[in-house]
Amino acid sequence: MNNDAGTHRHGGDRRRLRGAIAYLAMLVVVATVVIPLYFVLITSLKPRPDIYTQPVMWFPDEIIPDSYTTVFTAVPFWEYLRNSVFITAVLTVVQVVLGVLSAYALVFLRFPGRHAAFLFILASLMVPKEITVISNFALVAQLGWTNSFAGIIVPLAGVAFGAYLLRNHFMSLPGEVIEAARMDGTPPMKMLWRVVLPMSWPTVAAFTIITIVTEWNQYLWPFLIASNEKVAPLPVGLTLLQQAEGLTNWGPVMAGTVVTMLPILVAFLLLQKQMIKGLTAGAVKG
Amino acid sequence: MLTGNGTFLASPDVARQERRYSRAEVALAVALLLPNLVLLGIFTYRPLLDNIRLSFFSWNISSPQATFVGLQNYVEWVQRDDTVQILMNTAVFMGVAVFGSMALGLGLALLLDQKLFGRGVVRSLVFAPYVISGAAIGIAFQFVFDPTFGVVQDLLARVGVAAPNFYKHSGWAMFMITATYVWKNVGYVFVIYLAALQARRVDLDEAAEIDGTGQLRKFWRVTLPQLRPTTFFLSVTVMLNSLQVFDIINVMTRGGPYGTGTTTMVFQVYQETFVNQRAGYGATVATIMFLILLVITMVQVALQERGRRA
Amino acid sequence: MHITRRALLTTVGGIAAAATLTSCAGTGGSSAGGGDPKNIRFMSNHPGKSQDLEQKIIDAFVAENPEYSVELIDGGSDYEELAQKFNAQLAGGDVPDIVVASDVTWFPLALNEAITPMDELWSSGKVDSDDYVDTLREDYVFEGKHYGLPYSRSTPLFYFNSELWEKAGLDGAPTTWDEFDEMAAKLLKDNPDVAPLVVPDGSNYLDWYFQGMIWTFGGSYSKEWDMAFTDDKSLEAGRFLAEQVNKGHIKITADPTNEFGTGLAGALLESTGSLGGLKEQAAIEFDTAYLPGPKPGCPTGGAGLAITNKIDDERKASAMKFVEFATNQDNTVTFSQATGYMPVRKSALEHPDEQAYLKDEPRAQTAIDQLAENTQSQDYARCFLPGGGDRIGEGLDRITTGGEDVEKIFEELQKQSQEVYERDIEPKL
Repeated sequence: MNNDAGTHRHGGDRRRLRGAIAYLAMLVVVATVVIPLYFVLITSLKPRPDIYTQPVMWFPDEIIPDSYTTVFTAVPFWEYLRNSVFITAVLTVVQVVLGVLSAYALVFLRFPGRHAAFLFILASLMVPKEITVISNFALVAQLGWTNSFAGIIVPLAGVAFGAYLLRNHFMSLPGEVIEAARMDGTPPMKMLWRVVLPMSWPTVAAFTIITIVTEWNQYLWPFLIASNEKVAPLPVGLTLLQQAEGLTNWGPVMAGTVVTMLPILVAFLLLQKQMIKGLTAGAVKG
Repeated sequence: MLTGNGTFLASPDVARQERRYSRAEVALAVALLLPNLVLLGIFTYRPLLDNIRLSFFSWNISSPQATFVGLQNYVEWVQRDDTVQILMNTAVFMGVAVFGSMALGLGLALLLDQKLFGRGVVRSLVFAPYVISGAAIGIAFQFVFDPTFGVVQDLLARVGVAAPNFYKHSGWAMFMITATYVWKNVGYVFVIYLAALQARRVDLDEAAEIDGTGQLRKFWRVTLPQLRPTTFFLSVTVMLNSLQVFDIINVMTRGGPYGTGTTTMVFQVYQETFVNQRAGYGATVATIMFLILLVITMVQVALQERGRRA
Repeated sequence: MHITRRALLTTVGGIAAAATLTSCAGTGGSSAGGGDPKNIRFMSNHPGKSQDLEQKIIDAFVAENPEYSVELIDGGSDYEELAQKFNAQLAGGDVPDIVVASDVTWFPLALNEAITPMDELWSSGKVDSDDYVDTLREDYVFEGKHYGLPYSRSTPLFYFNSELWEKAGLDGAPTTWDEFDEMAAKLLKDNPDVAPLVVPDGSNYLDWYFQGMIWTFGGSYSKEWDMAFTDDKSLEAGRFLAEQVNKGHIKITADPTNEFGTGLAGALLESTGSLGGLKEQAAIEFDTAYLPGPKPGCPTGGAGLAITNKIDDERKASAMKFVEFATNQDNTVTFSQATGYMPVRKSALEHPDEQAYLKDEPRAQTAIDQLAENTQSQDYARCFLPGGGDRIGEGLDRITTGGEDVEKIFEELQKQSQEVYERDIEPKL
């Protein structure tokens, strides 16, 4: 944070001080974020009796991969992973496309009821998921979609968050550029592709990564629809590691958490670069 | 695609002035919006209406029969002892979640927007908690807050301070779940702010820099106003998301201690519907919650639109 | 956007009209009849991580009865999730044939006719119901009919740290709670940092464990449908619990098993289902005993198998055939040894494998003996009233960690339970 001084000068000392403070802040952040994550990781690598000890065992004497072996062998892990990837990929593509198109229509096209359409989308964010499941389950059951990908995917495909995010972003785009393109008589879809989206990649990338995270972690709905590893995604499947009365073996549960989050972190690293690239592209256009 | 007067695009202000719509443009708008609106209509609004209908019934969720009871559930909600506490819990949780994660998220985005060594890795680390499912986080934080085996207890003991029992004291339990939620959710705010910072007008910043404007002033005068739409957006979505939190509460406290110590409205909906099996009453709480959110959000949006026009 | 808004208004109107016309809740409603009666759908939360085992039982069943197929449906990680999924299925009109039902979930299902009485199915399907352990079978009786067969059944056990016990010169586990009071004082004197007994808190079924204690004082949560929280004996038990917590004899905590396993507690009240995990994980030597008496001082618990009511008679008969198979002598032996749950059939105890196992693991024998000598079925106020366990657990948290007044809390429990009974149960009896 650059709030260290309201000075009008840029002394070298000040700059160095600012750098030091920034690195210090970064260190604090890293520590706060990392400690719980570290415990997730280290628990997944500890032998069972070392998980709960007093005093807390920060560095285990021994590191073993047994919990990971359990994850990969005790449950049909690869089937769950396949399902997760498929469900997340389809939902992300559908939601990003629908989100971009909806936001584009809401911002750049004139039609009656535009504001109402926006409120319709926005207000759907206020409906708690817990209350939609029973009603939707009944509908999906009547369609014969239980234990199917369609049953999991279709009810989750509508997008409110992304449409709102992109609408917000589109409205902040510099009016001059839009105006110029409009004067040139660019057709609407070309306008979206050639003018609007190139200035929007960081936001689209952020929307994409958040959609991936959300859909990857869906639990309640897939849990109700999926009967077994035919369609169940990872978060649902990995609860199989947890079914014990009285005492849960946390090692494999934490190992499951680690392997579930890794693919998403990789996706984030890739999309993060996209967000930075977007900056240069946008800057050139602007 | 062109309209009679040669334009098809309108900035929001222009739209209000135009009386006539182009058919082609309306058709295109319908084509672009309809799939999404239909999906939301069927899978969000139809259940919502179902839910509103249910709120006038007494229904044991296992039973094929429900009895129409009119406003009785609503009357019960107003009269019940736990209503006030649950509303308070919800408001506190929401307030801390919104202000806490937004302040931290913005700070981190500004920090990691700078050219710092290792920022790519740190960005991923800040985002990492957001990736973990709420249930797994709840479990992981047992290792943080557990009064016997937890890290907080361990660190405090090293400096000779006794840690509070986070699970047993309503205030501390509330602190625990909000802190956990902020920890998880900061990554979300961070990413959205970071994207907004990437897309901001660098020229304005540079102009300020050339003018020799101080850092703090630059932040207030140049950066923050540019981020205003994002800030509004985040205040709305973080609020709505925080109110839907279920997993963390369910895993960490099950709404306790003492029954309602950390029960929020969504948790109550779940508890009443599936544990106490009073789906009608659960639906009533859900309906009230929806109405409250609707009012708050509409006020926020109205403020935002006004701010935009000004 | 006229279309959407009009559509919305039409929907509102339609739903409002429907609401006034019909009182049928849920949205599916229609009976799930038909389908292939030889295809059995079994929904389970795989208690005690029994997924592979259940699949093996299914494979063996299909091998013996090739005309059938059995589909195993995952029902989540605990009984609560399972009940949630089943309720969604009931409302949606798409139910499995067999479902795992816990001590607190079966009754509301029976009361609302979501699961079927089994007595006729037993006689037509030639099920030897007398071979099931009597107390466990009789746990599923409502209005003279049986609504389930025991499956993954457990009771609380008194686990104690044998080394600490020896050091303090104590001879075996306490047989009464008064004796526990004395032993705890001794233990505490030698080891002020070690809690003599740890018990799960109200969010983790303290209401189940305390039920045994309240009985030993002659009290109870309820006598059938008469609430008994405010009986003198029940209050006495409540005061005893609060006093033991105050004295530091009993520590109430969210995760007592690990404290006990790491040697931070002298004894532990936990389910028999924890025995397997503790054996693997505990850093200490421990033994098991009955819950303190006088008898009976221990409730039964765990889950049984129930058959849904919406399916037709042929399917019910198929389902019964599978339920019987899953709990027959051989499968009971395998299942109980692998999971730590109680053997539910009398004949299973005579099985040579079981006898050899119990000889090796006398701590499991304790649970079986206790079942015959020290248990009784649970009080209605806890397991038949919707939300009963949570309600009582909350009250017990208040009097223990919260330090609130026992009389006041028990009076509240009495009143609330009575209200729930009158509102949710009585009209349906």
